Order: sequence, then structure tokens, then C-alpha cells
Amino acid sequence: MVNCKGIALISFAILGLMIYSCDPLVNKFDDTEDAKMYTAKNIQTPPNNIDTFIFMTWNIRFGVARIPWFGDCCGNKVIVAKSDVHQNLENIANFINEVRPDIIFMQEVDIESKRTAYIDEVQWLLDNTYFNYGCYASMWEAQFIPSDGLGRVNTGNAILSRWKIEEADRIQLPLRGDQDALTEYFYLRRNLLKAKIAVPGIDDFYALDVHLSAFSTDDTKQRQLDRVIEELETLDNTKFVIGGDFNLIPPGSDSTDFCDEDKCAGESFHGPNDDPMHKEGSYFTPEINWLQVMYYNYSPAVPHTDYISDQEHYFTHTPEWDGFWNRKLDYLFTNMNWITGTDSTYQNITFENSLSDHVAVSAKLEVENGK
Amino acid sequence: MANKNIIRYIGILIILIGMNSALVSDEFSANQNWSSGTAYLLPVKRYEIGLFQPLRYGLSETRELSLHPIFAFVSPNLNLKLAHDKLGKLQFASDHGINYPTILMNLISREGTGGIISPEFEIPHMISIYNGVILSKPLGNYHLITVKAGFNFALKFGELDKRTTIDLPLVFPRLNVFYNGYGFRSGCDLKGKIFKKWFYLADIDVFYFPGADEDFAFEHKGLIQWNKSKKFQLCFGYKLSYCNYPFGSQWHLLPAFDIQFAKQLKTKK
Repeated sequence: MVNCKGIALISFAILGLMIYSCDPLVNKFDDTEDAKMYTAKNIQTPPNNIDTFIFMTWNIRFGVARIPWFGDCCGNKVIVAKSDVHQNLENIANFINEVRPDIIFMQEVDIESKRTAYIDEVQWLLDNTYFNYGCYASMWEAQFIPSDGLGRVNTGNAILSRWKIEEADRIQLPLRGDQDALTEYFYLRRNLLKAKIAVPGIDDFYALDVHLSAFSTDDTKQRQLDRVIEELETLDNTKFVIGGDFNLIPPGSDSTDFCDEDKCAGESFHGPNDDPMHKEGSYFTPEINWLQVMYYNYSPAVPHTDYISDQEHYFTHTPEWDGFWNRKLDYLFTNMNWITGTDSTYQNITFENSLSDHVAVSAKLEVENGK
Repeated sequence: MANKNIIRYIGILIILIGMNSALVSDEFSANQNWSSGTAYLLPVKRYEIGLFQPLRYGLSETRELSLHPIFAFVSPNLNLKLAHDKLGKLQFASDHGINYPTILMNLISREGTGGIISPEFEIPHMISIYNGVILSKPLGNYHLITVKAGFNFALKFGELDKRTTIDLPLVFPRLNVFYNGYGFRSGCDLKGKIFKKWFYLADIDVFYFPGADEDFAFEHKGLIQWNKSKKFQLCFGYKLSYCNYPFGSQWHLLPAFDIQFAKQLKTKK
């Protein structure tokens, strides 16, 4: 007869080898874990003496420019050709190389997604700009999303810096509370990316990059913002800049309900028989004061009074793939002080060159203020 | 580097299987029932079917037909196994198959949940044709080793966009022939008796697509089979997959389970 022990031992050995080498279908992430670190192919010596820093935040829409993508603008495109992604990244890099921010906060950066030909966009941007170091925190890492042909996805927040990133953490934000368990399992897991960067002239300096929930219909964004503020409060004795796509409009905004502007063909909202009554991600009325705490506790790159006096000038986003900007979602805040009048909201160049569905926002910070 | 690792793993597995076969005794008598994957054919008018196995039918002493009934309407497929004269002590058969996956691929090219392929793409009419040889040799009375090799090629009647690949284990290597045009497949199976009604199966399959960026895939299956009778069999175990995908290489470990039924139809005496 056979030697059963031999077969069993061999089978267990093979099984052990296999289990050790396999990944879960969807990465659910720990509460806090190390961010993925990057280094540019060619390091360019950064300046050691610098008077001012330029910070920029930009949701680059995973490098697909302003195509009618299925997920966010009533479009039908899902998987973008590799050549198109490369061209869009080239345009993004050209813009960055022209403005030359010292540290950039990016959202919706793909590193291994079928929709963007599996290009590692963090590495690509590092290798095609003057930035030397990067860190990345995924908000959506799944081996396969069985919907709309999306397939494999790995997208998230990234910080690029001229100076060395000494450490970086991915901090999990609360999940959406308005989804069923199955949808939640396959859905995005938003995060706060926190990086300690060795910038000259400021002793412990932290850069934080955040992207809050876009389509939640409950208090998810409030809970996520609470977690962000909790983290910022631990940095009371250090200096920091936080940038990102907060998916919230400033308090006092004239327009708070974009359901009609954003609706796709065949959709109807606000009617007595409409369910849902409001379009997901387009109804900000109940959330209008949620950002108040950020304006109150920290210094915004675009002062609130400036925004209120000329709101259109500071709009950073529209879900219409061919429309002009109609709301502000992207912000820079610090516990230092911005240099007055140095903020820029690059509406025209982003629109004319079709770079993203979000506008880049930048501002200057004086080094002396940071000491 | 990755390929070197693969070769190393394959080497280890072949050694393990070799060791495995060396551990056995010589009391085996070959049986044509439950002979999937070997050079043996089913007895005439016997059919076997599993939840995840094709329906196989012994057409004659030298011909066996098989098809996946679940997919028959959306991905028409048919395989013919032909028995040939023995080569010395080796049982010899050839395997010939055809598959038309267009309907199925267009069905899963859809919006919303279940959309495996983006609906922006149209899948053209296309077929794949496989031809291969299978050699089996009993190892003593209780074990059987099988080696197989074949060539697969595809005919397409329109442009197939490379963005329609389904980058999943087991699926990608089987559809890659449509993107590359042709490919080779080879493998090795070892099956045998553990004790009484308990059997084992360990196999390796290698896919090679010359010239493709994603040119290599490897699969290994380990199963324990409970052969209740000539009519019923339960299988459970694992499937290990390594594949070069468009995003890079990855291992996957999947559970394997099957319930198989068989029936012998009456033959004229």
C-alpha cells in the first residue's frame, strides 16, 4: 500500500508554501500602517537654504484627464489606453515642472489599476519631475472589482517631495456607513497619509494628504473629518501642512445643492416620487458647516473672506466632463501662516489643457514662520 | 528573476511528485473509470459529470467526447479524445478541442455588478483550437502517471482589444491564446490510491505563449478523492496558480471541490 504519511507531509509542505505567498482579494488595511515609500530614479539635489515653500494639492483623477469616465460624470469610458494615460501624465508633469511646488499632495493616483494600464503613476511622476521622494497610501486595493469591467484597482493618496520623507503612515478613516456589507467589502477605504519630511528650516515638519468620501449620504464625512482633526491635534507642538480633496464645500457657499447640474440623462431628483431625493455626492446642504472647524483652527491657503467675496474664482471641481468649475472641494491648511496673496487656483490652465476634473491649488509658506 | 523562481518551484514539485511515486507499492490495477486527464478513455456508453468538470462520454473504445454543459450555450466547446496504439508500456491518446467564447465574453461585458469586461468593448467572433497528446503509465498497481503536451491556436474575425483581458487566475491563461494567437500547454498528472476508497490526484499544468508580455502560467492541483462507488465521487483539495498577468506576476491559492456523478448506459451484447 501507499505511504500515506509521505503524501500528507508533501501536501502540507506545498500548502504552507502557497498560503504564505498569497494575498487577500481586497486589502482591508490596519488602523495605522506604513505607507509605501518611493524614490526617484535620478535624485536631484534639493536646496538647503530656502526662503519660501510652495505647497500644492491636486486630485489628478488617476491621469485620465477629463474623459467621460463612467464612475463620476455620466460617461461610458472605463479602461483607458496606455498611450492616453502616458500623454495625460506627461501633461500633468509639464504643469508641475512649470509651477514647481516643493511638496505636492495628490489624490486619486493609480499605482496598479487596469483602468490606467497598470502604470505606477507615483513612480512615473517622480521619474518625470524634479521630485525626489514620494509616499503612497492606497484607498482602494482590490485584486478584482467585478463591476463595469474595472478589474484590478490600486489607487490612493500620494505626497511627492524634494526632500527626504523620513517616515510615512497610512491612517484609516471611518468607512461609509450607508452601504450594505458586500458593497462595503469591495468599496473604497479612505485614508489620511501622514509624512514626516526633512524640510530645511523647520524642525519636525509633517505633511498630511487627505481625500474624504465623495458619495456618502450620511455623516461619514463628518466622522472622517473628526478623525483627521484628532490626528492634527497630536501635532500641536510641530508644524504641519494638510492638503487634499475634502469633498466638502466652504461654509457660506451660495450653492449647496448640485443635483440638477450633476444629474445624468434619465435621472430625476427633488420630485415627490424621486428616490433618492438627492444625487449622491451632489447635495452639500446638510454638510455646509462641517469644514468650519478647519477654518477656525487652522490657516487656509485661500482665506474664507476671499472665497466668500468671489466664490467662482476659487472653484476647483466639476463632475461635468466638459463643463467649467462650479464648486470648491480642494484645500490647503496649516498651523503656520501662508504668505498673503500667494495662493493660486489654476482654473484656466487645468481646464484648457484638460488635465483633471479637479483644479490644482497652491500657496507659499514662509520658512521664518515655521521656526 | 521571477521565472527563475518559477523554474525552481516546478523543479521542487517534480522532485516531490517523483518522491511521492517512489513511496508507493506495486499493487495497482488501472481502471478506466474516473480517468479524466489521463490517456485512458471511459468505457463505452459511460458518462461522467461534475459540478466543475466537463460532461465526458465514452463514444466507442477509441473515442471519448467531452464538453462543459454549463458553458455549452454561451461558450460552445467540444473535446474529442482518441485512443491510439500503445507505445511500448505507455497508453497513448490524442486530445482535440474547440471553443467559441465570444457569446460568454460579450455577456460579461456589461455595466454594473457582474461586469467583468468593460462594456465599451465589443468581443469579435473567435475560436480556439487545441491539439495535444497524452501518455499514461501505471506505476505499480495503484498509481498512474500521465504527461501531456499540446498546441493551441486562435482564429479571430475582428479586432480584440487588449484591454478586455480578464486578469484572474485560471481564466487569464486560458484566454491568453486569443490575445497572442497561439500557445503551448503541457502538464503532468499523478493519481493513485491511498487506501480503500480514498484516492489522490496531483497535477501540474504549464502554459507558454511565445512572444507575449504575459508568456507564462503554471498551475498545480492537489485533490483527495472519495470514490464512493462507480457512480459517485467527491473531490476536495486546492489549486495553486502562478501567472504572468498584464500587471506582473502573482501566485493564487484557491480551494478545489467537486461532486462527480457517473452512469453506465446499457450496451448491446
